[in-house]
Amino acid sequence: MAELTELQVELIDAYIKENGVAQNELQVDLLDHLCTSIEHRIEQGESFEEAFQYTLNLFGPGGLKQVQNETFELLTEMNAIMKKVTFGFGLTSTFLLLAGTIFKLMHWPFASIMMVLGAGLLVLGYLPMILAHKLKESPRGEALLHISGFVGLSLTSVGVLFKVMHWPGASVTLLGGMAVLAFGYVPIYFFKRYRTSANRSITLSSSMVSLACLILIFALMKTGNSTWYEHGVMLTNTDVAEQLERTSAVNRELHTRTGDELNLLRTESDRLVSHIDALKLELVAWAANVTPAEAATIRLNDLEKKHDMAVPHDLLLGTENELRDGEFSAVQLKQLFDSYRQLVLDQYPTDLHPTLDRSIGLRTDGTYKDAHGEPQNWMQHEFAYTPLFTVITNLTNWQLEIRQMENQVLLSKISRPEASNPPS
Amino acid sequence: MYSQELLKGTLQTIVLSLLAEKERMYGYEITQHVKEKTAGQIQLTEGALYPTLHKLEAEGFLTTEKVSIGKRVRKYYSLTENGNKQANEKVNEFRRFSETMNDLLNSFNPNPELQWRS
Repeated sequence: MAELTELQVELIDAYIKENGVAQNELQVDLLDHLCTSIEHRIEQGESFEEAFQYTLNLFGPGGLKQVQNETFELLTEMNAIMKKVTFGFGLTSTFLLLAGTIFKLMHWPFASIMMVLGAGLLVLGYLPMILAHKLKESPRGEALLHISGFVGLSLTSVGVLFKVMHWPGASVTLLGGMAVLAFGYVPIYFFKRYRTSANRSITLSSSMVSLACLILIFALMKTGNSTWYEHGVMLTNTDVAEQLERTSAVNRELHTRTGDELNLLRTESDRLVSHIDALKLELVAWAANVTPAEAATIRLNDLEKKHDMAVPHDLLLGTENELRDGEFSAVQLKQLFDSYRQLVLDQYPTDLHPTLDRSIGLRTDGTYKDAHGEPQNWMQHEFAYTPLFTVITNLTNWQLEIRQMENQVLLSKISRPEASNPPS
Repeated sequence: MYSQELLKGTLQTIVLSLLAEKERMYGYEITQHVKEKTAGQIQLTEGALYPTLHKLEAEGFLTTEKVSIGKRVRKYYSLTENGNKQANEKVNEFRRFSETMNDLLNSFNPNPELQWRS
């Protein structure tokens, strides 16, 4: 039996390594296989070169590299454990997202944690495993289809999570994800499958339906509140602001007719109205991410985040973990309202206090119920997840109440000057 | 020679049954053995054999031992206990499959003229 020289064996070994076979075990297999085959051919009278060439041709057009690729593919096929893990990821994230949503709707604790975990598991666990599996099992040309599907779905899921959690960047992520699905995945799916599919009308209609669904979600996202409703609220806001202006002007005039006696009321009224003005600017500044001075030039109607519920909540109440009680907090506002109310009451005879207490504005001691019947205090009722433009309208309305309370005191003083100084 | 398409699903069965019969074999030997035994009707391509061997080894059906031959190493493949069971199962399954196919195809007459007359 012909035996190859050491040099020839080394030559074959180098050829195997040079042609992209990196896996050790396979190198050993192939070296022995090539050598044995060549030895057989030489025995039948061929030269080394001829035998070498003949043997290589047996491996087909893909050559040795193809053997390694196929080995790799077979070895990395999704095995039973991987299938179970993928299934587990899918099931757990679905369960967490479902439970999180229900908890969120019912305002039960741990809703956010469940939703974040569920979405995280979906985007970091389940989807990548499905992608890896799809990339392995389907032909090379379909890689783009699966990658676009993965990117689109991941971005959409993250976007929805951010939206629900009121985190920044939600809309951009969500739109990006939906754009990838609409302009990447769906068209690629259609062009890849239409030609080869057995039932073309099904392929066509399923592409159309998925596109229609994306358009519907997009439309839903963009609509938000109806424009007519919005128009109505804005009109009310303008009306209240105008009335505030008129009442302030009347009060300024009335103050010139009363003596120094009401100086304290005047300064306190002006101070509280200015404080609320500053609070409104602060809200707009937070929402538009500008300084309060710049916020003064922004019209509420043009503000992109006018429906935002997180900005007023965070500024006035603080986050769930950290309640606010400093400058521009709801706690501060309530204190200012209460002391102003007391100041106004003090302008009237004591026997009128119980009656007046029920009729004058700025009451902050009411008890309220939220949508689920849970008791709320005044601050929660006014500011917990209330849209920005509603909060600003309410603030303007309180400014008007302040001016009206001031106005009533002024009128009562002018008509009955002795009333404030009852004979002792 | 049979088409590769037809052989694709039977490669594991062929390898397992060969190893059940011949204690231990190396890659080249398997290809040659199949070629001789089937008078060239079945030719295992080298490109398909080694991926299958490695896959079966990874699944625990095969084990290898290495023997040095001069400058190179020869890997002999043999069945594990599980591999023996798997060989039996695969061969039985294929027998049943081939019987079913026979039954199915017996009713088919490849001569269209005869069909026309009956």
